[in-house]
Amino acid sequence: MRSKRNADVILAVSVTAIIAVTVVFLLFPVIVTAFMAFDAREFIGPFPPTDLSTQWFVKFWNSGYLWSGFKNSVQLAVAVTVVATAMGASAGLAISRMSPRWRDLTTTAFLSPLVLPGVIIGFALLMFLSVFNVLPVFPRLLCGHLIVTIPYTIRMTLVGLTGISATLVEAASSLGANERQAFFTITLPLAKNGIAAGAIFAFAFSMDDVTISLFLSDYDTYTFPVALVGLIRSHFELTIAAAAVALMGLTVVLLLALDRVLGLERVIGQGVYRT
Amino acid sequence: MKSGGSQVLPHLPEAAANAPIVKSAQKRIVGARVRAVKSQVLLLLPAVAVFVLFLGLPMLTVLNESFRTFEPGRIGSVEGAPLTIENYAELFLPVYMRYFSQTYFLAFCASLIAVLIAFPIAYFIARYASSTMRKAAMTLLIGLTFLSALVRVYALQLAFGSVGIFAPIMSALGVNMNGSLYINCVIVVGLLHYSIPMSILILIGAVQQLNPRLTEAAQSLGASALSSHLTVTIPLCIRGLVSAFLVSMTLGISAFIIPWILGRGRVMFISNLIYSRFSEITNYPSGAAISIVMMALSLLLIFIMSRLFTLLDRT
Amino acid sequence: MSVLNLKDITKKYGELAAVDGISLDMERGKVLSLLGPSGCGKTTTLRIIAGFTSPDTGTVEIAGKDVGHLRPYERNVGLLFQDYALFPHMTVAENVAYGMRHRGTPTSEITTRVLRMLSLVQLTGMEARRPHQLSGGQQQRVALARALAIDPQILLLDEPLSALDAKLRLELRLELKEILRSVGATTIVVTHDQEEALTLGDEVVVMNAGKIAQRGTPTQIYEAPADKFVAEFVGRSNWFHASKRSQSTDGLTSYVADDGLEIRTRASRPDSEGGVDLCVRPEDIELVDGTAPESAPSPEHNVLAGVVLDVAPLGADVHVVIELPGKSRLLAIRKNVGRGSEILPGQSVRALFSASDVLVFQR
Repeated sequence: MRSKRNADVILAVSVTAIIAVTVVFLLFPVIVTAFMAFDAREFIGPFPPTDLSTQWFVKFWNSGYLWSGFKNSVQLAVAVTVVATAMGASAGLAISRMSPRWRDLTTTAFLSPLVLPGVIIGFALLMFLSVFNVLPVFPRLLCGHLIVTIPYTIRMTLVGLTGISATLVEAASSLGANERQAFFTITLPLAKNGIAAGAIFAFAFSMDDVTISLFLSDYDTYTFPVALVGLIRSHFELTIAAAAVALMGLTVVLLLALDRVLGLERVIGQGVYRT
Repeated sequence: MKSGGSQVLPHLPEAAANAPIVKSAQKRIVGARVRAVKSQVLLLLPAVAVFVLFLGLPMLTVLNESFRTFEPGRIGSVEGAPLTIENYAELFLPVYMRYFSQTYFLAFCASLIAVLIAFPIAYFIARYASSTMRKAAMTLLIGLTFLSALVRVYALQLAFGSVGIFAPIMSALGVNMNGSLYINCVIVVGLLHYSIPMSILILIGAVQQLNPRLTEAAQSLGASALSSHLTVTIPLCIRGLVSAFLVSMTLGISAFIIPWILGRGRVMFISNLIYSRFSEITNYPSGAAISIVMMALSLLLIFIMSRLFTLLDRT
Repeated sequence: MSVLNLKDITKKYGELAAVDGISLDMERGKVLSLLGPSGCGKTTTLRIIAGFTSPDTGTVEIAGKDVGHLRPYERNVGLLFQDYALFPHMTVAENVAYGMRHRGTPTSEITTRVLRMLSLVQLTGMEARRPHQLSGGQQQRVALARALAIDPQILLLDEPLSALDAKLRLELRLELKEILRSVGATTIVVTHDQEEALTLGDEVVVMNAGKIAQRGTPTQIYEAPADKFVAEFVGRSNWFHASKRSQSTDGLTSYVADDGLEIRTRASRPDSEGGVDLCVRPEDIELVDGTAPESAPSPEHNVLAGVVLDVAPLGADVHVVIELPGKSRLLAIRKNVGRGSEILPGQSVRALFSASDVLVFQR
């Protein structure tokens, strides 16, 4: 009896320890970055900063290199979001009306880019597109980003549609609505939150992508993450921390939007985190 | 493929099928069904086109390129270069095998640690956390998975890198921060920073699907909390555990930014090798061959895991 | 000596007291039904005894020892869950053996005992099956065998039959009773089903809003309910509210109900502000033809004239609803004796019931 209880005490203590260490591990680097972005020193010194200033944000603001990338990224992300959402939503709606067998097959096919290493997608696209040398950088980036964002827009549209039974559409038809009317009055309004969540995912992943963009960018046209990764590799300094804080701010905004649109529980419950 | 509205059709009694009214109704429904299929195809078309054009064809290009002879000094192979399996054969050289074994070994370590750490945390959140705490934890975890890979890598570099803020402490402890062991550890830490929150989210779902009465039943029968989890909770969550491991593993072996920055050029993953084939020596055929092998290995992993699933289901 | 002794148990969830000062003791070998509506605190009480919930105040003693500080696995309490909680990844035999294995019973003994338990619940030959291959009734019996296999000091059954369909429930109720009797297990059955409580329990404890409303034998609970709640919850009843008492003669008290009917009762309660509630069980009411000359069998009888509103033959019983002059309704249950004595809607009848069958409750 006693040994059972001792085992339980050890279990409880170790679980508590694991939770505490993990929370610190997950949050510490993020907190360090946020603090260091406000460091008043000219070099990377010991944590915490002795004095605070906004000098790195000013440098970030004045860096033409980073800003050019930022502008490109936002333009690209907006374009990707529009196209991926339209394509993903229509594909999702079509998939939701298939028989279960076809639905599973098609969904798996469309989700496949998520298990493909980004490097391979980028490398393959680069080689393929170099055959047609005429395509400018921006549309090339758009193509690459569509491949990795459409899976999310399709998935989230399907998440938005789960729980909407076929009987609702049947009920609408029995009340005299034709196929088109049923679609616009029943299916689309019910799916719109899922579609919106997909759009948020598309925007977030387009803003975030490095690997594919690295292959498809050139010296004149590059995205924000590509600019940042170049900077991390060449001059490791705190301007990047300031940029990172800006990106974290963006993450928080997107997260709030996602919660508002679909609810975080639902995103996890049936969303992208399930295999 | 069938549309929701046409499900009534098969239930029409066959004897009545000859009646003209029913026949015309049938025609109309069949017509509606054809239209529905047509509209489905139309809805799917743009996405399918994008996938075929920008994923399917590029992959075929890679496959084709991987069998071409490389001429040093050129970008990519020449049109009509002779076919060869040289690019694959050279991957069996120990120097290349090392990249593969390194990638798989570090990804495996990170995935295993991630699942081991994530499970108790997921169990705690799913079972014991109050609803506000749950919500806070979920928000934090999703936020961490959403966090830009660059922010993550930069933050870890800032904390654990050679000029990072831990550098003085590490050198005081006598840790060689330029040793490959340390670099390997930092890479695993980098992978964990992503795979732990991801695994927790997957496992929360798995724990929530488990009837809490089962663990209580085990304890009322005399099993300690520890052994009730070992004999009941974990066996019944095995699917979730395997899923979390598989996702961590997939992310780990395709990791690019984390080993690129945190590996400081001394430790390279397969992704980095492919990139260097492209950016440094422009040996596209070799890069293509590595890509094909990497994809084959990923598919193999997924295949093994799904076989494991069906095996688990049977028992 | 009592096997179980609860003293002054209280458990609050926020402001709400799920269990509010419950004291209870139980003798060895008895079956006690814990009956009450959902949310009355019966399941919380069960979980406190099993050790899954710790009470805010009060003590739990099992066989004279305070077990308050003991974890569930340190108590010797068998628990049958509402959904059975059979381990889906183990066979029937492994499920039944689970408890013994974790209590260090020798393997050879486990094997024989598993077989004995399975024969007790008539599942011999099902050892290698998995829970999902069994019917609901079989699952329930496996769960019972699993709980009994550890030879618990107390067996707790949480709504043991509620997951089964009505017909099966009736069958298994008797079977369960037989098994409990043959094993002689000290048992608490938590249920919201009064029939289940009254059939299974040697004694019944009725709970309401975290408190014990009444404890007694099934007969006592039914025939002499302690308060209005018990009377209303157990069995069917007709209610009259009376605010004034007219007179008392021959040991009988006359109440005038709010709708003007006069009802004589054997029992009496002191006058109170809110008046009294009178209760008559439908099966205590006898119906006679309303056109026949009036004659009460004895002066003790109440006679109420009315018109039949609805007749529902339900197998052995016929439920008759009568509308009384004051528009109030009366339910009478009579045996279905067959043709010739049928009562039809619209017929005028007289309802007879003895003054000693009227229960009186103070408001």
